[in-house]
Amino acid sequence: MKPAFKIITIILLGLIFHVSFLNGQDKQEKQDKQNKKVNYGKAPDEIFPYDKFVKPYKYHFLIPLTFNGAGRELKAPVDLKEVRLGFLGPLSGSIMVPQGKQMLQGATLATEEANKRGGYKGLPYKLMIHNDVGAWGAAANEVVKMDDEKVWAFVGSIDDIVSHVALRAALKLEIFMVCTGDPDPTFTETNIPWTLRVISDDRQGIYALINQIYKKDGHSRVAIIRTGARYGRVAFKIFSENATRVSHPIIIEERFADGETDFKSQLERIMVTNPDAILIWGNAKESALILKQARTIGLKQPVYGSDRMVNPEFLKIAGNLAEGIVTTCQYNPDSDNPKLKVFKASYLKRFGQEPDVFAAHAYDGTNLLIEAINKAGLNRVLIRDLLTDRKTFQGYEGVTGKIVLDQSWNEIRDIYIAKVNNGKFDFTPAPPMDLKQKSFSTTGNY
Amino acid sequence: MRNILRKNLQTSITMILCGICSVLVINSQPSAGKRTAEVKSKDNTNAIPVYGHWKNFTTKDGLPNNHAYCVRIDGKRVLVGTHEGMAVYEDGKWTNYTTKDGLAHNGVVSIDVSELTGDVWIGTLGGLTRWSAGKFETFNQLNSGLPNDLVYCVYCDGKDIWTATGGGAGHYDTYSKQWEIFTEKNAPMHEPWTYGVSAGDGKVYIAAWGGGIIEYTYKTKQFKDYTDPDGEMEIDLLPDDGPVHDITTGTAYADGMLWVSSYFGFCSYDGTHWKGYFDHDSGLASNFINFVRAKGPVVFICSDKGLSSTNGKSWVTYKKNDNNSDGLTIIKNYARNDDSTVVHTTKEIPSSPSIAHNFIIGVDADDNYLWVATEGGVSRGELLK
Repeated sequence: MKPAFKIITIILLGLIFHVSFLNGQDKQEKQDKQNKKVNYGKAPDEIFPYDKFVKPYKYHFLIPLTFNGAGRELKAPVDLKEVRLGFLGPLSGSIMVPQGKQMLQGATLATEEANKRGGYKGLPYKLMIHNDVGAWGAAANEVVKMDDEKVWAFVGSIDDIVSHVALRAALKLEIFMVCTGDPDPTFTETNIPWTLRVISDDRQGIYALINQIYKKDGHSRVAIIRTGARYGRVAFKIFSENATRVSHPIIIEERFADGETDFKSQLERIMVTNPDAILIWGNAKESALILKQARTIGLKQPVYGSDRMVNPEFLKIAGNLAEGIVTTCQYNPDSDNPKLKVFKASYLKRFGQEPDVFAAHAYDGTNLLIEAINKAGLNRVLIRDLLTDRKTFQGYEGVTGKIVLDQSWNEIRDIYIAKVNNGKFDFTPAPPMDLKQKSFSTTGNY
Repeated sequence: MRNILRKNLQTSITMILCGICSVLVINSQPSAGKRTAEVKSKDNTNAIPVYGHWKNFTTKDGLPNNHAYCVRIDGKRVLVGTHEGMAVYEDGKWTNYTTKDGLAHNGVVSIDVSELTGDVWIGTLGGLTRWSAGKFETFNQLNSGLPNDLVYCVYCDGKDIWTATGGGAGHYDTYSKQWEIFTEKNAPMHEPWTYGVSAGDGKVYIAAWGGGIIEYTYKTKQFKDYTDPDGEMEIDLLPDDGPVHDITTGTAYADGMLWVSSYFGFCSYDGTHWKGYFDHDSGLASNFINFVRAKGPVVFICSDKGLSSTNGKSWVTYKKNDNNSDGLTIIKNYARNDDSTVVHTTKEIPSSPSIAHNFIIGVDADDNYLWVATEGGVSRGELLK
């Protein structure tokens, strides 16, 4: 009888385990998946922080914040002669002035076109222009001035330090900020429900570069030379962490100051390490000079760069040496998008130059604001509510493509790989990151 | 044979069911050893004050604007900063002050009173104003060492006046009349933008955006920073390993305890251990916290979904109903066990009326009253005996 007793016990245990434990496990897994539908920033599981080792106690940015303050009840003023929109950008005193000028032109064109369509119920839109001068703190004062001027919302800026300072002031004053030029991932990671960004961030660009450099092109020993500014510091942190997660830590990091022209000492230190690829992270001019000087001292390795290389200044300074350089771009400037074609023609006619990435995104961002005001009316909170509902403008077709906002209102649409071919950048969609197919080293202790 | 089989089967089922029951019991109800001391004390709410009999003040009562940024009790009077000026409540009446009277800007976002001199220091959207002996004096970027004209927080610590601004932390020594500016260049801040400041026991605690908490020691003139150990923006890896996030919005120090607010949760530091609090594992009304002020062992936490207070053990939260002026006072004893499961007890007391609005930006308390600055006016609660 003992064997029969054992069999029955095993069957019962099996049933119980199956029902209670395995079902519980399935339930937990399902719950986990529900709680974490898509990783923040479209990060593949393989590179999500600590994902291989431990489940974080708390995830952020997976559920959109609501704004629970007052103000929705406020009536629109009746004595207005114009509807004011704020503009914050580098217009003087900054190395980003050329980009700031393009940004302003993009916003200006959108405003002029809106006024031709009748403005806001017959009232003209007016851009209240503010220069952020690229300095710490200045942006805070400019946002206060916008509040004093009674702007309904504003677009800005490019420089990450400026954008951060402006955003905090925007929260205090409750003025919605549409970010059109700052790709710093931490901008929307501040958890402030008074902004959205219409330009893809460096996190998306870096994921695409990680995929390209390590998986597609098969490199493993990458050297980085980057600006010492915040733009380079934040990007380096993300790139370096993710390179390590795919088993290829950066072999050397060198820094330079914005405006620097001699990079010999940094490049010589890189040369000693004998990397098999080099990543340059900086503005167009410095990136081109670094490329030239790298080739001069004999660094022949493939070179990759930040999206700020996608600039006529880079191609002009680098000349033939730019051939084969690979970077990313937040949109495809050569797209067949009819809206983009019309925009480019109008922009050229109005300003006598081709629009750059900052002009195109400022145009989209300003149009978004205007459409939100037209729909919501003159109430800052209602404008905010509409822009952040992730319904009204989710999938909005701009000249830069379709806007896709994540739960932190960050633009996460697919971006482009940009490669210099015959003196110009060619743009192709960045392939999806599928690290599971890559045989990374799995030896060692975890 | 059959009886033996039946008996064996019954015994095995009984044993298995007992086993299942014990597993379920262990999972659902933490053992006494796991329970924390505060949960054992069911009536621990006496440890922190509870306020009620709310009286709300709005523009109808004389406030210059219902959007109140801050409130400070100064003896028998109460100072309130609003978007359209400063209001002073004394002898049952409100008196308003604006730029016409000498304020640096009508947007008054922070107020503190010097215990040493009685001077009122007013942080505005356009500079720092000292109100002394009936006169207003303004400090700004052009006429002083104020780091930036947007003064998010001002704190008086004896002769020292500290400001948290959009361009760094400022220190003004009222004896030497010298300014010091602290930014990423001379302090371990990742960036110079700062949002909160408090002080105590010879130290100053600055809430630095992206840089966690910056601690300054007067005696050594040295800085130390406290940041989230996991170093990631999108997660908090472990609950009690340090500050819950690097983006901090305020600090408060009292009774040897540092309290730190953020838009991602709340935490405390007793000099040795950090403890994190979130809305899912404590009585915290919301993880989005605008401001924090500590009074003795109790800290008041201004969130976007109500006002919470705690001594680290019990929680009291004041919330207004969405559809009327009434609300609830919610008293909770929450505790997180070692295995991250949570146990709690809850008691809800209706209040009519409740606080003016759930979006809380400022708070202050004395022995008898709690004053709350909200986006819908100012509220005063009486200590319930």
